[in-house]
Amino acid sequence: MPPLRIHRARIAQHKHDRLLREYLKQNLNELIQQKELIIDGRIKTQIATLDLPTLRYGEEGSLLAQGIEKGGGAAGGGKRGGGKDGADEVQALGGLLGGDHHGRELRVELDFDEFVRLAQEVLLEEIHLPPLSLPGAAGEMESEDMPELDDLDRIGLRPDLNLEETMVSSLLRNVRERGALDYDVDLRQDGWYFIEDPTTFRNHRSLEVYVLDISGSMRGEYLALVRKTIFVLWYYLERRYPTNLRRYVVFQDVATEKVRDDFFCVESSGGTHISTGFEKAMALLEGATEYDRFLFLFTDGETSSGDFDLAKRRYEEALRRFDLVCYGHVNPGGRGIGGFSEYVHENVRRTPNGTFANLVDVESIRAAMGEFLHLLTREDTRGRARALRPDH
Amino acid sequence: MEGLARYGPIIERIEALARARGLSFDPVYFRLTDSDEIAEVASMGLPNRFIHWYWGGAYKELVAQQNKDLFSILELVLNTNPSHAFLRANNTYLQNVLVIAHVFGHLDFFKNNHWYRKSNKNMLNEAELHARLIRRYEGKHGREKVESLLDALLTVATTVNAFERSPEVRRRRLIYFLEDRAPLEDYERHLLQSVREEAEYFDLIQRTHIINEGWATFVEAELLREILDPQEWVTISVQLSSRPAPYTLGYSLFKAIRDGRGFEGALRVRSDYEDVMLIQDALTEELLRRLDIFVYDPKEKQKSYDIQRVRDMLIDQKEHKGQPPIEVEVGHHRDLTLVHREEERKLEAKRIALFLRAVHSLWRNPVRLRANGKVYSYDRRGFSST
Repeated sequence: MPPLRIHRARIAQHKHDRLLREYLKQNLNELIQQKELIIDGRIKTQIATLDLPTLRYGEEGSLLAQGIEKGGGAAGGGKRGGGKDGADEVQALGGLLGGDHHGRELRVELDFDEFVRLAQEVLLEEIHLPPLSLPGAAGEMESEDMPELDDLDRIGLRPDLNLEETMVSSLLRNVRERGALDYDVDLRQDGWYFIEDPTTFRNHRSLEVYVLDISGSMRGEYLALVRKTIFVLWYYLERRYPTNLRRYVVFQDVATEKVRDDFFCVESSGGTHISTGFEKAMALLEGATEYDRFLFLFTDGETSSGDFDLAKRRYEEALRRFDLVCYGHVNPGGRGIGGFSEYVHENVRRTPNGTFANLVDVESIRAAMGEFLHLLTREDTRGRARALRPDH
Repeated sequence: MEGLARYGPIIERIEALARARGLSFDPVYFRLTDSDEIAEVASMGLPNRFIHWYWGGAYKELVAQQNKDLFSILELVLNTNPSHAFLRANNTYLQNVLVIAHVFGHLDFFKNNHWYRKSNKNMLNEAELHARLIRRYEGKHGREKVESLLDALLTVATTVNAFERSPEVRRRRLIYFLEDRAPLEDYERHLLQSVREEAEYFDLIQRTHIINEGWATFVEAELLREILDPQEWVTISVQLSSRPAPYTLGYSLFKAIRDGRGFEGALRVRSDYEDVMLIQDALTEELLRRLDIFVYDPKEKQKSYDIQRVRDMLIDQKEHKGQPPIEVEVGHHRDLTLVHREEERKLEAKRIALFLRAVHSLWRNPVRLRANGKVYSYDRRGFSST
């Protein structure tokens, strides 16, 4: 057995991450408002660095550099700029000739997932959100339905697999190796048992569709509120549905589906047709077999006058087709609720599976979550919602 | 054969070849390990150094780069006696043969270079001692207090100079001045000395990066030429030409010296020179053009291959390690005044307050910095500028 090693760098990393949390707490609002939140899958910050406060030159003067072509595989530390004629690139040599990393600038750059996790920590503390009481074991839904073999996991069971044979193999292996009568399927040995190509056999237990109004007025504080709400939603949804499918839609006059990274890098422009957002969201239900279907729509409610009636019809339709329709009226100025939002606000009490959130500040996220969780954890939600859904 | 034993015969062979070329070494322990441990040692500088968040950030970044195959460290060797060299277990056999030859180049440099002969070869033990001391002080004086002290000390530690022997010149460097004159408690001064010793150990590595890596790469090429078959040699040659700048620049300088002055001449240079001397003596415009190294003006997007400009900039970078040159105005005053010697170049304003706060936490009396055509101050009321 190898000797136990104290991993000092991991302890150091833990300390680094603790400071990073502090940094995030102080700068979350500024970071989260960046128009392009995700670049190459990472959150890049333009502001302070998590660094020792050594002095630096403020402006870039002449520097030692090497042509990329001939420098070839020079690794790490360099930055790139255009060559004189734009045909070749240059790589700064400062860091490479300095040797030790000490004194090198460490920019705060995070994986998106890590950023979300840290932001959730900050938000949960800030908002004092209620804990989620799960009705069943973690990740499992309570249901009176007979379990379906194709609904165990994101990469679910293939219906034509020989379940009995796999379980018997697993049992024999556990008796042999551990003396335990358990059916724990070992992925390394029973990998064949699972679907190999999840794109072909998508089978998530919940489908979440996020729809964002990106018309001209949605920027700055608007975006901050929407993103914070989404991160908090994810905190709860991930605990209830460890395996889920998320789809993203942005709309102005027209609606388009986006991948996650593009959803968080929006360019606001154009007018508002809320009906298109609902239409696109419902189009994404085609072929979806998830038990739970959630729609989260964020808008300032200022839909074009000609779109009002159509938006109403599409909203009613969405209520029938989704298990939950959460309408977020993004309202950082705290003004009165008008436009299409007023209609939803007045009618939401009559719908068993609709919620309305007036997102004024982080405190209002707390109120919205309270309502959302109430619906989510209400034992009969699904049954009632499903009864309303024509395709169930 | 498994593990390190597999490399036993080739280590012996390479060592014998190196000795036959006139190279000599202190004892070395090779260790086969994984990328993670190499990333740990590389980010902390030493395997048992005290734990600080700054190394944690470097480690995290290194691991992320390794995971994406953007960058990986093939080897690591420590300037200690005995020395310790780390071979990566998932390197190919040929890669580790290359690493072993490269390590023997470093070991020879550690033992024979004038500046390294005087260096602290006991740093592994001292770093362990420092780490234990810091843990003890954390227990006694509180973790937060010791951590913020370490932050301030590491900030001023970049002003060390391992080469500087003149007490008068040294005193103008901030960390030495603070060591002499700052009103610190005994344990704080002790920590300052520990951090300063470690910083000097790494400062030497920085100031000899080109010559050290150049020599190791040169030795590697010389020895492997005798060991490898032509096909393997071609593979290695490609790798040699695609390494980062310190390796290729240093390697090319040593090759040029060998061609002009013979292997004996190269041995003398590795004994007596450091980076600045090597650059002054051996860098030519022809070499710059071949390696495509130049002074680049990012505003005008202009390249200059002028040998004097490149040489001056390289030397300046070696002397100041890319940091703005800050000096202490020495005098027996209550207030501490620092001066930026390159007044024409502007400093990043938002870092000045943080820097002065760190210095003030050690000096405990008003601190001033003359830079950017202003005087910045930090005292118990906070930061100001005039």
